Amino acid sequence: MRKLAFFIPFVLFIALSVFLFSGLFSNPMERESSVLDQPLPAFALPDLHQPEKIWTPDSIKGKPLLLNVWGTWCVTCNAELAYLTELREQGVMIVGLYYQQPVDAAFGEVFNLSALQQEVTLKLEQQGNPYQWNILDKDRTLIFDLGVTGAPETFLIDAQGIIRYHHIGDINPQVWQQKLAAAYQSLQE
Amino acid sequence: MKYFFFSLLLFTAAAQATQALTEFKSPEQRALFKELTHELRCPKCQNQNIADSNAVVAVDMRAKTLELVQQGQNKEQVLDYMKSRYGDFVHYQPPLNKFTLILWLLPALMVCGLVVLLLLRRKADRSVVATDPGDKIQSQPEQQLEQQLDQLIEQYRRKS
Repeated sequence: MRKLAFFIPFVLFIALSVFLFSGLFSNPMERESSVLDQPLPAFALPDLHQPEKIWTPDSIKGKPLLLNVWGTWCVTCNAELAYLTELREQGVMIVGLYYQQPVDAAFGEVFNLSALQQEVTLKLEQQGNPYQWNILDKDRTLIFDLGVTGAPETFLIDAQGIIRYHHIGDINPQVWQQKLAAAYQSLQE
Repeated sequence: MKYFFFSLLLFTAAAQATQALTEFKSPEQRALFKELTHELRCPKCQNQNIADSNAVVAVDMRAKTLELVQQGQNKEQVLDYMKSRYGDFVHYQPPLNKFTLILWLLPALMVCGLVVLLLLRRKADRSVVATDPGDKIQSQPEQQLEQQLDQLIEQYRRKS
């Protein structure tokens, strides 16, 4: 009895220590997307460079692809452009979903499509262009339906248009090898 | 200069006015909007509700909440709409499921454990008392000691 009374607090202390210690290395931003294993939500959004062309879930089906949420205003997105371009050269199909930040009408801001197109073209010329095409989500409707919290975020979509994987943050060689490469390869077969 | 500062005051008043200009059909809708924006959690920021945050996603969620409330949706519907996109994380009241069960069970288990521990202790104390040889035997040497002590004190008094 005496021995037990000594060991119970000791065991509790060790358990608490292990729990708190593991908390030091966990990522609070990491949580499973709630749209996983679901088809892409319905959308009809224009192409960034050819606004008369409208993309829908049906029109992007057919091949597994990476849907990369990005914006020229987003520093991390710019940093991953070079590596994504490398992936494109290896044959990975990447589609951009352009995250347009809200336009503050109170400050006299107006959305200017041609200025945005120029900005994007310039950025992609400088950093490399990984995108087959870019979908412009001006009011962030698809971005909202996908549960995107910021940029960059990347979704792996299979040939049937089902969301298979979701990654928050940039894609670099390490992330690609550890998290996405295997999932992407398995979808190819 | 005086006029300059005065005009600044005017500007701040105008800025506040534009933020507060949200029209509701009924006071209930206004209350629901307020309740929801305080209970919904910004998924981008660590521990801020969407009423409190100006992150783009929080601004969008506020606008969506407003839209849904004005459409006449109730609290449950708006929460489901948000949870289906941003997960249970987005609501400050976690649902009861296999992952969160421990949150409810742990305090109850701790109280139970404490009660068991206290009962065991009492039992142990009682058994110690029961198996004790008794006050009489223990008090006898004590009396003897006290007598000896008294004698010693007496001796010292006489000496001094």
